[in-house]
Amino acid sequence: MKASDLIDVDAGTLSRESFASEEIFQKEIERVFAPAWSFVGHTSQLSRSGDFFLSRVGPEQVIVTRDQQGAIHILLNSCRHRGMPVCRYDKGNAADFICSYHGWAYGLDGALTGVPKFKERYQGRLEREKWGLIQARVCVFYGSIWATFDDALPSFEDYLGADMQFYLRSLLQGPDGEDDGYEVIGGIVKWQVPCNWKFGAENFAGDHYHGYSHISVERLSVGLSGTKSRHNFAGAKTPSQAMFVADPKRGHTIRASVYKTLPGYDPQAASEEVNDYYRACHEKRQKRLGDQSRLLIRGGVIFPNTHFNSAGRTMIGIWLPLSASRTEVWRWLFVPRNAPVAVKDTLREYYLRYAGPAGMVEQDDMENWTAAQMGTQGLVSRKYPFNYQLAMGLERHATADEWLGNEVSITEDVTEHNQRAFYAHWARLIAGGS
Amino acid sequence: MTTIDHSKALDAIVLKDEVERFFNVEAQLLDERRFDEWLDLLHEDVRYWMPIARNVRFDQPEHEYTRAHGEANWFDEGKDILRKRVQQIQGGDHWAEEPRSRTTHLVANVNVEQSDGPDIGVKSRFVVCAYRLEHDVDLFIGKRFDVLRRENGKLKVWRRTIYLDQSVLLSRNLTTFF
Repeated sequence: MKASDLIDVDAGTLSRESFASEEIFQKEIERVFAPAWSFVGHTSQLSRSGDFFLSRVGPEQVIVTRDQQGAIHILLNSCRHRGMPVCRYDKGNAADFICSYHGWAYGLDGALTGVPKFKERYQGRLEREKWGLIQARVCVFYGSIWATFDDALPSFEDYLGADMQFYLRSLLQGPDGEDDGYEVIGGIVKWQVPCNWKFGAENFAGDHYHGYSHISVERLSVGLSGTKSRHNFAGAKTPSQAMFVADPKRGHTIRASVYKTLPGYDPQAASEEVNDYYRACHEKRQKRLGDQSRLLIRGGVIFPNTHFNSAGRTMIGIWLPLSASRTEVWRWLFVPRNAPVAVKDTLREYYLRYAGPAGMVEQDDMENWTAAQMGTQGLVSRKYPFNYQLAMGLERHATADEWLGNEVSITEDVTEHNQRAFYAHWARLIAGGS
Repeated sequence: MTTIDHSKALDAIVLKDEVERFFNVEAQLLDERRFDEWLDLLHEDVRYWMPIARNVRFDQPEHEYTRAHGEANWFDEGKDILRKRVQQIQGGDHWAEEPRSRTTHLVANVNVEQSDGPDIGVKSRFVVCAYRLEHDVDLFIGKRFDVLRRENGKLKVWRRTIYLDQSVLLSRNLTTFF
């Protein structure tokens, strides 16, 4: 299969087979998900030695642990003897994991520590050091934890590239600009959507064209102010420029706004206490970051399936591919680590009414993606490609501010530039390229 | 020899009947999509809470559901947000409910646990079926714990806790009320 069978880069079109074909789906698992770094969680979920939680790396279930020395491990949750998950609790604190089938026991670092009848029936000859749990490579990046099982993949930093390192670091800075400024609130939100995972990915990658999907929440105002829009920055008075950033070599994408001048603080929330917190953070961030504090990241995708939302609602999630037409979504919700309880609670309530299957905003996304999936099922409909021509040809490779990136291409204002970059990279991988 | 306090027993039966009739009216209003009238049955200070279930050890029931305040939940909100949800459905522009879904709410196993001043604690079970479009079926089954408060002689929902039995939500959306 050639990339050009799926995508016509010059025309800005993509075959509907990309969303429907189980053959392409299998290729995705091998060629897109296996050679990728994936978000698995956050260090705030592992505050003590022995803490663990279950997560996923593509289709693989993993246990994320902190061992007695404080090191983080990401272990394939599959007993080396018969494949059983050795941990079936979503989270907890443990000294070891014992398989419920034959009783093989593993330490927090994955080492095989116990084998029933080791002396009597294995004659003490089983090479336990070779039969530990399979380990993923681990990278902790400003508090976020990433994993891959691909030994040939470059380091996470190289996988991101210098520009995306800047954006991801920025995303993980608290409202006051401090690095690693967030913590996860308890409970990972998990649900399933009957659509291909890429509908979610391309939406988060940079679809600001889909305002029509959300007219009901714009009408009702579900943001922190309660009076304006679904976004918290809707009250900002300083003019800004929307910006869509894509790394064409690696497939990562960012959507952001850049204020034309250093913005003043415009109240976002209904409550004085919350505004006081954000006002103080705003000043600290400008002091800390200077000119770069004009950047407001709104979201993006670390290729292929790690997605995030930002701009006053920090959530990181993963699209987990179940089949060409079914996806499981996991979503972590973040609040500023040092914020007063009132701020954390205000944000939490905002996230709950915004995101996920009970979120007034994202419900309409899920409905639309499910409906779009239906448009990939018929033989007739599959003959006609999807259109990604919005603002084609308007991207540029130099930015007014060098700190916004050197290897990326950028389009200002509403565009499908990020989707085009995402799919061009995806099609290259499906065709066997890199 | 024990004697039944007939007067107390009769009070309990009358109260249970009142509570069951209240729940039946609620279910009917929701299924008939008379959402404004349903909102009227909620106390102004209602807390509507549906935690997220986790898979935990036999001896850690306290971790089985996420906590209200401070943790992620499916719902954890008051009447202001519930009112917005109703207004969203009533606008014709909430695509997850366009065209309208067909729901059936069943409430069963109603047990009045305590009756304390104006407040009545009730445990029950629910089955909610939501069908939409041609092929979509959502089935929500679980337990409910309500505190009903009597105000000017009328019952209102003051606390509603909804324990859904699913951990990963197998439906794409929760656009119905419980």
